[in-house]
Amino acid sequence: MMKVLSLEPSKKCLDNMSVINCSNLSKKYDEVEALKKIDLEVNEGEFFGLLGPNGAGKTTLLKILTCQLKPSEGKAEVFGLETSKEFTSIKPKISIVPEQESPPSFLTPREVLELVTNIRKIDNKDIDYWLEYFELEAMEGRVCRNLSRGQKQKVMLASAFISETKLMFLDEPFINLDPIVQSKVREWLKEYVKKGGTVFINTHLLENAERLCDRAAIIHQGKIQSLITLDDLRKQKLTLEELFHEIVK
Amino acid sequence: MNKLILFRMLQEEVRLNTSFASGKGFFSFPILVLVSGLLAVLFSNVMIDDMGYKEYLQILHISAIFYGLFAGSLAFFGNEFLERIFGYFGLILGLSATQPITQRKITLLYFCKEIIFYTLFTMIPALLGALIGSNYTDINVINLLIFSFTLYISFCTGISFSYYLSSFYRISTIYAITAAFIFLALYSTLFYGNEITGSLDWYLYGNNNLLLLGLAIPAILSLTATLNIQEHNSNGSINVIGYKNRFDEYTQTYSWARKMTIPGIIAKERIDLERSKTGTKMFFSFLFPLGFLTFMNWFLDKGLPIQIDFNTIFYGVMIGFFGTMLYSWLNSIDTPYFYSTLPIQVSDIIRARLFLFGTITWWIPLIFMALISYLSNELNLLPIGLIVMVTVGIYIVNYTAMSTGLKTNSALFDAFVFIKFFLISVPPMIAMTILSLAINHKPSTILVALSIICGILSLLSLTFYRGIDTKWNNESFD
Repeated sequence: MMKVLSLEPSKKCLDNMSVINCSNLSKKYDEVEALKKIDLEVNEGEFFGLLGPNGAGKTTLLKILTCQLKPSEGKAEVFGLETSKEFTSIKPKISIVPEQESPPSFLTPREVLELVTNIRKIDNKDIDYWLEYFELEAMEGRVCRNLSRGQKQKVMLASAFISETKLMFLDEPFINLDPIVQSKVREWLKEYVKKGGTVFINTHLLENAERLCDRAAIIHQGKIQSLITLDDLRKQKLTLEELFHEIVK
Repeated sequence: MNKLILFRMLQEEVRLNTSFASGKGFFSFPILVLVSGLLAVLFSNVMIDDMGYKEYLQILHISAIFYGLFAGSLAFFGNEFLERIFGYFGLILGLSATQPITQRKITLLYFCKEIIFYTLFTMIPALLGALIGSNYTDINVINLLIFSFTLYISFCTGISFSYYLSSFYRISTIYAITAAFIFLALYSTLFYGNEITGSLDWYLYGNNNLLLLGLAIPAILSLTATLNIQEHNSNGSINVIGYKNRFDEYTQTYSWARKMTIPGIIAKERIDLERSKTGTKMFFSFLFPLGFLTFMNWFLDKGLPIQIDFNTIFYGVMIGFFGTMLYSWLNSIDTPYFYSTLPIQVSDIIRARLFLFGTITWWIPLIFMALISYLSNELNLLPIGLIVMVTVGIYIVNYTAMSTGLKTNSALFDAFVFIKFFLISVPPMIAMTILSLAINHKPSTILVALSIICGILSLLSLTFYRGIDTKWNNESFD
């Protein structure tokens, strides 16, 4: 049976409480303006996709939302807390799968999960489940530096999934995963959102976004060019790919 | 094509260095070197009066060789280290894996790039500083230029020796050690009864044959290295055989340290230290500076009319200072990116590494101190030497941790950070060195003075330690 934690409150999206809020958010790296006046709101229980070509500003926005970067202008809030100031309050409530699969090189997958549960002060009873789920039990005793990129990505996903948070940030989570694992991850994420979790996913794999997201934003050259509800898109008999090509050409 | 690759490699090197430090910090470094060259010439008369003309020139040549060796070591043994700190690090050097260019050719170009880079950014600024300085002394400019040329040959000898060693190291460590011994034996045989380098012998006595030999050595070393580089793929085996799970055990072991940082982080860092075998590397990294120090001690004793005895207390100061290396090693084991996914702060990791520095790596300086003290027949000075070593070590490591965080090596590339580090570390070291050398004259007064300095350094250590939170709490792991 798939293990998805029951998240409190378990009702999905009853009051449309926003968990992510960006207003007038900009980020400059020297002369390069990576994000330009972003306004965005993501509600609790939503599966939200941020889509865009390479270098569009997706990872920059995710890093600001996960307290890893400070914005140059404007404000980003997660659970009503400003990301540039309330680091210690936000971080325990979110889990992150970064763009680069980077589990600790000299720990085994089991030890990585033990580290996560220890730091997050959560029960470590699910470690075996997640090792088995990602077929990492065969890697027992092997340190992460000796794993393939796909296996490392599985460790990163397991570290996020075991964290029992209500909000999950995923940056290109399907890269390097084989189709079977991709499918398992998709199913787990759907179930997670059904139970009240919120997912913010960065991807340029439009097929996955189309299957998973309730809403999506297309970002290009640092600006949100389009904010769409996937149901509306389907009603218009359009695909994400068509819209994406229309915007990013 | 070669010119283009060489040019791009130089661009890459500059960009790599400016990514470690600020652009201003990096480009200020040649100015710092220029000032050093200026000061070296301005104070050359004093040094020659103290040490003797020939001995002073010998020391400059030895330093140039060691500098070349150091620069070459960074270049040829630093790639793995970069990847550890920054994750995947693609350099043009790796181009042969995907493009039709041989490893031999790309490595030779890389070696040429290193020589050009260090010539442009350190040797030429040092020469300019020396030339400016010569205006204020009676040193003849032509003589200065000729001597600088001989020094440059020594620098090239050092950097070529690194290249030569690295080409054997690619095959195995044993090959590298054997190759080093063979070269050193040949070099000693060739120069027995002459000056330490051929170019210096030529400068002092006009021996043209030795100049040619001095010029030939870097050429032979680099040629041997280039020919030695083969197109072989890495055959390093994957360690499939299990590592025993240590995390829970170490978390329990360090639960008492929870007031300092999170025991889980200490456990992770401890496992990293063990499995990466960094402890052994730390141990051997002490050998090089201590060997250099001992050699200088012997050399000064030989050259100076007054006997200077570097005693156990002096080595305590030096070994304490080398604590920076231990902390720096702790920062080079693994990339910290994973920590950015967890609800912890940069300061938690810094404190965990300081904890490991204080509890796990202490045996390395202790072994060296005990050995030096025993070999110098100064076991009576060992307790004081240890106190000095611990105090200086804690002081310098806390400052390094506060000022450079988790990126010690790259931060010290920034000239501004480096100058501050220099100003913080050098004055107490000079004071303690002077006191250590005078220990036999007025022992009680010296001990009181040493105690006062140790007390001040301890208080400053505490201030630096407290400053870690202020400086690093809101920083990212990037």
